[in-house]
Amino acid sequence: MSARRLQGGSAPLRLLPGALRRGIERFAGRHQSLAVLVGVALVGAFLPVIVGVPPFSGFGNRNDFVDGFANAGVFVLLALGLNVVVGLAGLLDLGYAAFFAIGSYAYAYSASPFSHLDVPFWPMLLVGAMVAATFGILLGAPTLRLRGDYLAIVTLGFGEIVPVVFLNSDTYTNGTNGISAVYQPSAYGLFGIGSFGFGNPWPYYVTVLAIVAVAMMLLYRLQDSRLGRAWVAIREDEVAAASMGVNTVTTKLLAFAIGASTAGLAGVFNASKLSLVSPDQFGFTVSFTILAMVVLGGMGNIWGVAIGAFTLYEVQSVFLKQLTNFVHDIHLPAVDLGFLRLDISAIDFVQYQFLLYGLALVSMMLLRPEGLFPSRERKRELHESAEEAAESNEEVVQA
Amino acid sequence: MKLARVGAALAIASIVVGACSGSATTAPSAGGGASAAPASAAPSAVGGASAAPASAAAGAVDVKIGIELPLSGADLPNGQPTLNGVKLALAQIPVPGFNVTLNVQDDAVNGVHDPQQGAKNIQTLVNDASVMGVVGPFNSNVAKAEIPIGNAAGLVQCSPANTNISLTKPEFGAGDLRKTNPDKIAYVRVATTDDIQGAAGADIAYTIVKARKAFVIDDTETYGKALSDQFVATFTKLGGTVIGGSSHGVPKSGQGDFTSLLSLAKKDSPDFVFFGGVTATGGGLLRKQMVTAGMGAIPMGGGDGLSDGAASVKGSFLNLAGDQGDPNTYMTVAATHDIPNPTKLAADYKAMFGAEPGAYSASGYACAQVILEALKNVGADRAKVRAYVTDPSHTYDTVLGKFQFDKNGDTTQRIISDYTFDPGTKDWKFVSQKDFGAG
Amino acid sequence: MTRRPGRALLVPAILLLLATLDWSYVGTEQFVNALTIGAVYALIALGYTMVYGIIELINFAHGDVFMVGSFVTYWLLSSLGFNGTISDLPLLVVVLVGTFLAAMVVMGGIGVVIERFAYRPLRNAPRLAPLITAIGVSFILQNIIQIFFGPSPISAPQVIDVQARVNLGGVDVSVVKLFVIAVAFILMIALQTFVSRTRMGRAMRSTAIDRDAAQLMGVDINTTIAVTFFIGSALAGAAGVVQVLYLGTTNFQLGFQAGLKAFTSAVLGGIGNITGAALGGFLIGFIEVNSTVAGFSRWSEAIVFGILVLVLVFRPTGLLGQQLGERA
Repeated sequence: MSARRLQGGSAPLRLLPGALRRGIERFAGRHQSLAVLVGVALVGAFLPVIVGVPPFSGFGNRNDFVDGFANAGVFVLLALGLNVVVGLAGLLDLGYAAFFAIGSYAYAYSASPFSHLDVPFWPMLLVGAMVAATFGILLGAPTLRLRGDYLAIVTLGFGEIVPVVFLNSDTYTNGTNGISAVYQPSAYGLFGIGSFGFGNPWPYYVTVLAIVAVAMMLLYRLQDSRLGRAWVAIREDEVAAASMGVNTVTTKLLAFAIGASTAGLAGVFNASKLSLVSPDQFGFTVSFTILAMVVLGGMGNIWGVAIGAFTLYEVQSVFLKQLTNFVHDIHLPAVDLGFLRLDISAIDFVQYQFLLYGLALVSMMLLRPEGLFPSRERKRELHESAEEAAESNEEVVQA
Repeated sequence: MKLARVGAALAIASIVVGACSGSATTAPSAGGGASAAPASAAPSAVGGASAAPASAAAGAVDVKIGIELPLSGADLPNGQPTLNGVKLALAQIPVPGFNVTLNVQDDAVNGVHDPQQGAKNIQTLVNDASVMGVVGPFNSNVAKAEIPIGNAAGLVQCSPANTNISLTKPEFGAGDLRKTNPDKIAYVRVATTDDIQGAAGADIAYTIVKARKAFVIDDTETYGKALSDQFVATFTKLGGTVIGGSSHGVPKSGQGDFTSLLSLAKKDSPDFVFFGGVTATGGGLLRKQMVTAGMGAIPMGGGDGLSDGAASVKGSFLNLAGDQGDPNTYMTVAATHDIPNPTKLAADYKAMFGAEPGAYSASGYACAQVILEALKNVGADRAKVRAYVTDPSHTYDTVLGKFQFDKNGDTTQRIISDYTFDPGTKDWKFVSQKDFGAG
Repeated sequence: MTRRPGRALLVPAILLLLATLDWSYVGTEQFVNALTIGAVYALIALGYTMVYGIIELINFAHGDVFMVGSFVTYWLLSSLGFNGTISDLPLLVVVLVGTFLAAMVVMGGIGVVIERFAYRPLRNAPRLAPLITAIGVSFILQNIIQIFFGPSPISAPQVIDVQARVNLGGVDVSVVKLFVIAVAFILMIALQTFVSRTRMGRAMRSTAIDRDAAQLMGVDINTTIAVTFFIGSALAGAAGVVQVLYLGTTNFQLGFQAGLKAFTSAVLGGIGNITGAALGGFLIGFIEVNSTVAGFSRWSEAIVFGILVLVLVFRPTGLLGQQLGERA
């Protein structure tokens, strides 16, 4: 059982040679949590090294990258959480940023000069996750009867309502100004890599890696549990699942709660790293970005989703932003075709970043509609429907 | 499947085409009169190498000024003219012995200024050892995420546009933003604060217009809300009434349709309408709709968010308000009107960028002057530049006039200038200015 | 397309009653404001609901089609040299008809192109793939408009005199607003007639119900879907013209929030249902105006979505949606 499940989960490994891949799969099949831990540690160690070599080094120095990786980690967490709701349970959530906001505000309120409650960071990680999970259940409950896109619009509605509430509840949230000077975690020299503070991204990087690793281990276990199978069952056919004895109410609510709690973790971490929470950080674009990460990575595939989130964050916040400086620095010669003079170094890519981002989204979806690393089951479904489509096309041709 | 690939190939091809048209020199038509026309910016925006003064001799020390502004999407009209102001300063001010270039960072994500990107950008600038000072940010919430980082790193930031009180004043929580090095502030700004500007707006309404009953609308954003709250407080203190007792919020996301709010206002027949916000969040549209609603004769006022040029400048407040909307409008600017040579700056700007300067071009210029001044005096040492800039005893003689920074980093030039629409020139006309004294 | 007409009439009847009650609360002027705001949402919502009905895609780029439509209108009017009010009535009529036709045809064409390249290749892909491309297309449209027209809001010519008023029952009402409402109603009736009376309309309905069966019955699916996109986008284009006539300004970010509200309208009414979408649009107009009148302008967004949630909790498929919506 575990081997079959793992094949689905380790799609990125397809890039490796066969024997090595099989070895890794066998190992991972037996020691799943350990495999996640080793995987995250390897990736975590590899990333800061690779950015020192060209062409990556052209986009910034190592500390810039690590700072960006820590931010990317927030989006990886968010995407992992949304993956539970959308990828596993098949509930399209277009307002996921609401839970990110709730986690962020929970921490900002409890650990800032605004309220002087001064709750430390580490317990707040759990509290933030729990608060978000509670709201996941509260906001999930009214949606239980809804199907498909009606569910999507209600979640979208909550995604719009939550920031408005934060914006207008001045007493608790400081209104449009937001809560600033949110406390940083204190680690008492925990990792031997310097304390948390502005200007040193490493503690954040290590912390977010740890949170991601733990989240991934838990999510893998959940995915293989009775609950995970129940999610897949209601995703595939809710009526059939219910008639087979799956309690759709608790199953759906747990999906919302677990998805929201992951967003809560991300919120607490992000609020402490950024030291600021304001209502304009949690709009629909954030919800959408996270959804795009999940879909691009490959819905339902935990590693795939993590990679999708990481890639999209780096494209949006590093690659497109630094493209102008990068291209300028490498001094490409101008191409003169007489009627058209193309001088790439002179283009201000900053102005075109949304065009490029939009084109990237469209072309990636056209090339890989199932995402970069589709889970195996998803892929199988897709191929069936593709074959059906091919058949029906043939019929048309014959007719 | 095949078709999908064709589609993708087309998409990629169009990137290349898009890129070509971006670099083509024919582009001035794109973007029209918007001073922030991306095309006109393209040749010089990159890295800023072209903005280096001709005096950069061989053997000069390479240093950079960091730029941290919103430079894409809807915030572009704010960021780009400010950046151009800095470029103009670099081109005009010789800094012997230094070769000064820019390190440009854009803090807009999905077209809107984003605190997280801002924090990341300032980190990037901190990590670039050749950056001696930063011009930016533009938005208050971005500043809140950046000030702690700049403070910890000792990298001085000069904001051309921030006006929120909580950024500098300890009584409003600014001390928490700089707690790493409480004695070494690293953030200064050349615009004076919202509280003064909102009060000045109320002053116009009460003393100049002689209004007694005001209707107040804000755009629910940091700047607009602070301005209108202060307007309400001061106007009431002066003896006026605010309809409904406080400000009405209309988020820009609500498509900025003020019709029903104005129908509501009309019932109480206000004699002044105050808008806390900027042109892009609905200032111009509000005035235009006042005309439509038959309220065109009622004076309207706002802060420097409406100060974006004559009626001929596309997208400016006066342009959007229209011929019938322009009369009876008032606006305040958080700076002295007696700036040394305004026409020269505008002419030089126009010669270099082919557009009218934006509201914050001069502020960007002034920030660059401050940093360059420090550089000339203490050399390429980030810590010394910070110490020099924030020293309250230094006076800067800039395009905005002479000023110092107080111990919190606020400009000592606390003058608000009042403007009104001039039907002759179809532009803002200076009315009066008031010095609010040292804070 | 509800099967039980008696039941279908119940909801509009209740809403009509509510509207009458509301009229006495907000007064004629605000009532007309609500209808005007609602008319714009309704026009955009029609495109959402038609596209959803036929291919079950939430076309997030649709709001941006509306935005581009307003820029096409602006470009057309200003390049023809119209800078303000046209007082010559015959000329005004010609200009209005011409502008509506041109904007609708251009936007219809753009809609067809978008469908061809961004959605059709993904017709058999996982459901969320076209949703992502839709948002990709939305970014592309916004950036293109920003590059050509600049990022600032632009002032567009209002050819109808915005200060002209007519007296309706003792209250002066703006002519532009009445015009906007009339245009919306005319287009909705035209659309309803087209869908229920013509051959292509029948093809659209049958494709919406069962694509494969429709294909077997000889319906050309690709053409039918393309026509649906053409009409939906043309209506968004008309909404773009209305935006310029009514507000006299537009900006490249206009589409996003308008699209969101229009989508909400479509869902509120029962997605896939044309009458429902129109009803939903007007309902949102009324909710917004009422929250302003009641002094809750800051909360209007939350109130709109709050009511949406409430409606869906009690009627999970919208006001006029089919009771047994099996679309999951």
